[in-house]
Amino acid sequence: MVNIEELVESLAQDAAVVQPAPHPFALAAKWLAAAAAYIVLSLVFSGLRPGLMAELHEPWFLAEIILLGGILVATSLSAALLAFPDLHQKRRAAFAPVVILALFALTIIFSWHADNPPAPLPVHSYQCTVSIALFALLPAAWMFYGMRKFASTHYRLAGSIALLYAFSIGALWLRLHEQNDSLIHVIQWHYIPMIAFGALGLWLGKVMLKW
Amino acid sequence: MADKSEHFEALMRQALDGDKRAYADLLQETARFLRPFLARHLNFSTEVDDVLQEILLSIHKARHTYDGNRPYKPWAYAIAKFRLQDHLRAHYADHLRYAVELSEVENDLQEPVTKSGMTYESISGEVEKLPPRQAEILRMMHQEGYTAKEVAEKVGMKESAVKVAAHRAYKILRKKLER
Repeated sequence: MVNIEELVESLAQDAAVVQPAPHPFALAAKWLAAAAAYIVLSLVFSGLRPGLMAELHEPWFLAEIILLGGILVATSLSAALLAFPDLHQKRRAAFAPVVILALFALTIIFSWHADNPPAPLPVHSYQCTVSIALFALLPAAWMFYGMRKFASTHYRLAGSIALLYAFSIGALWLRLHEQNDSLIHVIQWHYIPMIAFGALGLWLGKVMLKW
Repeated sequence: MADKSEHFEALMRQALDGDKRAYADLLQETARFLRPFLARHLNFSTEVDDVLQEILLSIHKARHTYDGNRPYKPWAYAIAKFRLQDHLRAHYADHLRYAVELSEVENDLQEPVTKSGMTYESISGEVEKLPPRQAEILRMMHQEGYTAKEVAEKVGMKESAVKVAAHRAYKILRKKLER
């Protein structure tokens, strides 16, 4: 191995003008804009669920949609911060998804209690998980591609947040597209898989984001 | 203190603008403040040097993630901790992979080097082919007659580490002699 002085000299010889990475807020805004465009475009092609406007007057449904959007915003911001070695020195903001996910879980629990008598289960089941997963593939790919350009020192967490971002896009799209009032179905085939894929991101982050 | 800290940020800004001298100064000073931090976590100075080189390379690779507007040291320390953890993880994984039960080692040390009553001299050729540290330990224990504790004092290792090294050497020797 070369000694430290030689290494420093050799690295200094490589010094050239370097364009600093964009601010994480700008990065998060870019990822959010991409997610919004993807959802809107997909809804244009796949269509909105019938009676969506009426459904949005239901407070629990509205809260669910708002918090799904909140998860999307929080995961975009968190992923952008986690892409930097020092979390851009905004450690608290990087853990924002924890708060939003807790609020989301509470909302779903209250919404479940309010669903009395329970809405009938739809005839399909795992197909929703498959749809969300397929829908999330593209956002997951652009997210990992984007994050690999940085230098995450929390690659497992970053991978998990990246997949949560992608799957929250899928879950939001399906909730706005599919006519389905059964909360049990939504929990079982939309949200539990979303969280499970987020956990899978811990492994994927290690594979994709280690540098 | 604030001036010194701002000095790092200024150097990094110049480095990002392509100033080779400023970059060399920054890396030298970074190495200077990281060395004591690494020395607190690592046992050998060669290990400190190796990890320090890894860190400097990582700083070089990740320098685009620093914009020159926030404090430099937390950014550099984040990379340093990350590389140190990587190193320690690999180090302990190796230790676990080659871990042996101490009771197994103790049993071995009660026995002669080989069960067939061979003398050290008759297998000294094989001993010399062992990794240098293991060969040295066996030589001291079986040719010069030192105990594990005395060997540990002489070579600057812990007694348990000497016993483990001797145990590994016996295993290698047994395999070779049983062929």
